[in-house]
Amino acid sequence: MDETQTRKVNIHVPVLARVEGEGALHLRIRGDVIETLMLQIYEPPRLFEKFLEGRSFEEVPDMVARICGICPVAYQISAVNALESLFGIDPGPWVHAMRRVLYCGEWIQSHCLHIHLLAAPDYLGYESAIAMAHDHPAIVRRGLALQGLGNDLMTLLGARSVHPVGIKVGGFHHAPRADDVAAMLARLRAALSESEALVRWTASIPMPDDEQTFTCVALRDAGEYPIHRGRITASDGLAIDAAQYDRHFTEYQVEHSTALYSQYRDQPYLVGPLARLNTSADRLPDVVQQLMHDTGVRWPSRSMFHSMVARAVEVHYALSEAAHLLENYMEVPAPAVAVTPRAGIGYGCSEAPRGLLWHRYQVDAEGLIVDARIVPPTSQNQARIEEDLRLSLQDFGLRHSDEELRLHCEKVIRNYDPCISCATHFLKLHAERL
Amino acid sequence: MTRLAIIGVGSPSGDDQAGWWVAQALERGGLSARLSCQTRIVALDRPGATLVRHLCDADAAVLIDAVHSGQAPGVIHRVDDPASIEKDTRVSSHGFGVASALALASAIGALPATLVLYGIEIGAASADAAPSAAVSTAVAALAARIEAEAVARWPREASSSVILSGRITPA
Repeated sequence: MDETQTRKVNIHVPVLARVEGEGALHLRIRGDVIETLMLQIYEPPRLFEKFLEGRSFEEVPDMVARICGICPVAYQISAVNALESLFGIDPGPWVHAMRRVLYCGEWIQSHCLHIHLLAAPDYLGYESAIAMAHDHPAIVRRGLALQGLGNDLMTLLGARSVHPVGIKVGGFHHAPRADDVAAMLARLRAALSESEALVRWTASIPMPDDEQTFTCVALRDAGEYPIHRGRITASDGLAIDAAQYDRHFTEYQVEHSTALYSQYRDQPYLVGPLARLNTSADRLPDVVQQLMHDTGVRWPSRSMFHSMVARAVEVHYALSEAAHLLENYMEVPAPAVAVTPRAGIGYGCSEAPRGLLWHRYQVDAEGLIVDARIVPPTSQNQARIEEDLRLSLQDFGLRHSDEELRLHCEKVIRNYDPCISCATHFLKLHAERL
Repeated sequence: MTRLAIIGVGSPSGDDQAGWWVAQALERGGLSARLSCQTRIVALDRPGATLVRHLCDADAAVLIDAVHSGQAPGVIHRVDDPASIEKDTRVSSHGFGVASALALASAIGALPATLVLYGIEIGAASADAAPSAAVSTAVAALAARIEAEAVARWPREASSSVILSGRITPA
């Protein structure tokens, strides 16, 4: 009898340890066919949306920051975008620029954490970042230094890098001092050569050839690379405001996950750095575009294995953008505009490190939250991850050993930098063969 | 001039703040002004790999963290070679924490020449719990011990002038 007809593999990961979220992967293969593939996120609902009900709009930025220790700024910015939109407020160019700088800090620290401690060891053949660091100390040192610079940039405007407290509806609580900005500007400029080297290094790492067809969804702005604002766009030409999100994107529940899935036109879609670069590379400065093309990657890319290069490009851009925005910094006496709440529904979104983050708030006349809804990027990517795993495993070949299949699954999942990727090696293998 | 980092690690959950409380006691007690070295006192909230950065900038470091080893709450542990701690022994009360960060720092050659870890044994740490009497007593004792050791090693001299004092809000 042909071996492929008798081989049955069950890869079941019951608990993903040391992760931001709690999840599992269940994979059952019979012969050359994947019978079951489920990314199971079973973390109990955290109920943040319910916590917000009855709270003042003024509390929202600090509360939603607690949703994620890695991308709190994204939650804060999407929230204030929604509430300021509802209240008819434009906080002005100073606030927009400083929010963008703060967001750059978050991108830098989040992306550098992922590249150096989570993703790179996979491709260099190490079981962990610590093992990799023994052989590549300079690489890891550079990564940690860049990550630290991102943290410090967040602290400059948010008072601290974890759950920062600088942002309020209408602007900021506090404007940084000019001499602190000048010191940061010097550090940002000095780090540009390091981030450029990071891009070239990530591009030099051999990656699997695994092109797939998928729809990219990301914000797009008329004049700048999408970070803290923009219209929601898709690679098929969709361009909508945040308020129209529900007309085009559908959230749905599946039995095996406590996180809602999302579809666009009844299909999975991609959000995140690769989606952003694929749709808005033309919004990058020429020198950054040139660096992108120097990598040898054909952009836009159809391979999720180019995600690490995409993150490195965004690190380099975020450093240069923050430096650009801080060049002519002026302290302002009032870093916020007055806010008068009004009843209604507000919509807002921004580009978290992991992709589009959409918020909707219903507010009463007193400014209290009546209803809140938050759609994070990892939730949106779930269906795409499962689709990618199916396609990628078939392309990789199902006859590989269980250990090889497990490692490949981990690589594919980590390309999306989901919160559950915080564990360096999270797939414990239980295989059954007949 | 020697750069000394005194780093309290913790989280906002009850006695898991023990490391922060020691750092805050040393800061309030004006330790920096009594030492000849550049002294930075910080409290870090589950820093993970970020702890490596703080170690990179120091010639000597004292780490203080809450620990679980099965002994009675309030027991103080001293580890003179903390980089040798096995990562999976779960000495720290945090999932990823001091042990992994030290291993990473060691791998990239960023460990300070002098490195000491103090652990304060704690019991259960819940979010709204008040400090336990045993841990409060240990915090005061450990702060006094660290201060005495630091003053003995880096006594302030008349000529020393550069004193750095870090903020002690958990970063």
